[in-house]
Amino acid sequence: MATAEERSKEKSLASDRIINLGYLPVGLFFVFLGVAPLLIKDEYLRHLFVVGLLFGAQAMVSDFTVGFINLSNFGFAAFFGLGAYTTGLLVTNFGVSPFIGVIAGMLMAGLLGLFTGALTMRLRGLYVAIMAWFMALALQSLTLVLVDVTRGAWGLFVPPLFESTDILPYYYTLFVITLVIYIVIKLVINSRVGLAFKAIGMDVDFARASGVNPTRYKMIAFILSCAFAGWLGGFYAHFIGILTPDLMGTQHTVEVLALNVIGGRGSLWGPLLAAFLVIPPFEYLKSLMEVRLIIYGLLLVLVMVIYPAGMAGVIWKVGELLKLHKGATYFGMEDR
Amino acid sequence: MELVDVWNVLAVGLVRGGLYAQMALMLALVLGVMSIISMINGELYMIGAYVSYFAFTLFGLNPILSIACAAVATFLVGALIERGPLSMMRRRAGEDWYLNTFLLTVGLSFFLKNAAMLLWKPTYRGIRWYWEGTVSIGSIGISIDRLVALGIAALTIVALQLFLRNTRLGRAIRAVSQDERGAMLNGININTIYTISFGLACMLGGIAGGSMLSILPASPYMGTTPNNYAWLVVMLAGLGNISGAVVGGFIIGIVESVAFQFFGEGWPNVISFIILIIVLVIKPSGIFGTSVKGVWEQ
Repeated sequence: MATAEERSKEKSLASDRIINLGYLPVGLFFVFLGVAPLLIKDEYLRHLFVVGLLFGAQAMVSDFTVGFINLSNFGFAAFFGLGAYTTGLLVTNFGVSPFIGVIAGMLMAGLLGLFTGALTMRLRGLYVAIMAWFMALALQSLTLVLVDVTRGAWGLFVPPLFESTDILPYYYTLFVITLVIYIVIKLVINSRVGLAFKAIGMDVDFARASGVNPTRYKMIAFILSCAFAGWLGGFYAHFIGILTPDLMGTQHTVEVLALNVIGGRGSLWGPLLAAFLVIPPFEYLKSLMEVRLIIYGLLLVLVMVIYPAGMAGVIWKVGELLKLHKGATYFGMEDR
Repeated sequence: MELVDVWNVLAVGLVRGGLYAQMALMLALVLGVMSIISMINGELYMIGAYVSYFAFTLFGLNPILSIACAAVATFLVGALIERGPLSMMRRRAGEDWYLNTFLLTVGLSFFLKNAAMLLWKPTYRGIRWYWEGTVSIGSIGISIDRLVALGIAALTIVALQLFLRNTRLGRAIRAVSQDERGAMLNGININTIYTISFGLACMLGGIAGGSMLSILPASPYMGTTPNNYAWLVVMLAGLGNISGAVVGGFIIGIVESVAFQFFGEGWPNVISFIILIIVLVIKPSGIFGTSVKGVWEQ
């Protein structure tokens, strides 16, 4: 039996569970995402696609820290919400173009990430996670309190990104954002930085001895992930048109982390896929608030208890049974 | 500011401080012994409040018995949670234990909160008093209920400390929190210890909920804020320090009460958080955190 000591040890990372199916399936998935809304004529289904992709992209961004530097961000909503409010406030108060506003939101979220990380990154991962969570709580209360600036619980109205009410432009903007984020994360993972992640994951002390500074690399990943969250938040602001402080609530963070875990940690595409399977039924249940949250809670508990590796883990297992994985890697399996 | 106001702010702060201290202790116990990031503290507190409410109003039990009912009920709920999902997960998940426990307890908390919402609707269920009347010292008065709630908080905190220090079981719990393998080698049944410590921690929350019923009425979402503050207190006091958590609880309780008095709703959160940031900038390990590795840093 593993002792709590072993369990709580900060086992970084990725190297144990990067589930990499190679480029073909993931590429096909992205092609599907790119083409499907064109073929679907139903407006509601298209809306579901946007919401699914939005949550999927968030879960993917969250997976960048959870899956690769073993750092869960309990304050994900803070960065998302900061991005959204930054662009919202800039556009409504100073008439800045939404496209610049979104970039500003991304920068602000990155800065907040830098601040959070600088405060706590030297300590254990637990501190960063909890600190980020407090950031979210504090930002949420601030937006509630500063009614003159943010309109508090009344909601801040944000002008849309495009003139027309057609949903497709939004979908494709989000699609491009998601694709860019995916590619950047992949590039980082496959670069020297990614190599450092892997080294830290295998043995922190050896990595240190080889001149890898774990804090620095963790910071890079954390800040990038925060900035991406802010970027998505900025898009969300102009898509949804109204911002309320609930956006930074713990519930939002939990939804993102849940998708991340249900999809499978360390796979990037898993969370994206999970969002498309989980979000539509939940959107459908939106009117039954309590029932929906009860199901959410139960689902989380069940995944954690029954199969913590998530969907990506299941798919990997199936592939393994069918001996499909040629050239695909599940790090850690071959080494040990 | 009148003297009466100062007194009021202080009294409110102390009572809330007692609540936060209990909740922080609850968290400390679970994190220390089982390394669990627990997010269901608030929900156990809510369950305690509901149980006391029903025991007091429906069955007409006397106040002390109603609070005792809450204690027993929450202990059982805690033991059930530990025996069920937590131990099942412990057998499975090796890596990412912190994230797993966070998500599992958040899931449970969502479930309990909203189940309570469905069952009991978002109405406040409070009682006017357990014991009617106020005690006055000079020109200033404090209701007996507040005094008793504070007394019960102090009593449970002291009792827990004594229990952990002086009884066989308490020493076993501390042994497990210090070194599991060593404890196992000495013939301690770890699973029993886990169940008992989780139950005990939950019981702390339940007692808090029950004893504060006349001050903070029972409602489905009542536990969210105390849970947030409990974490804030633990971070502020330093993760390795249990008695620090108690002091921190009272500090935050008073800060909250003062901030509420001067700035109004919403601000206590922000101000407590700013204090936390300042403390962490100056001393990353928290006010009372020491470089000596505490029970949690094993």
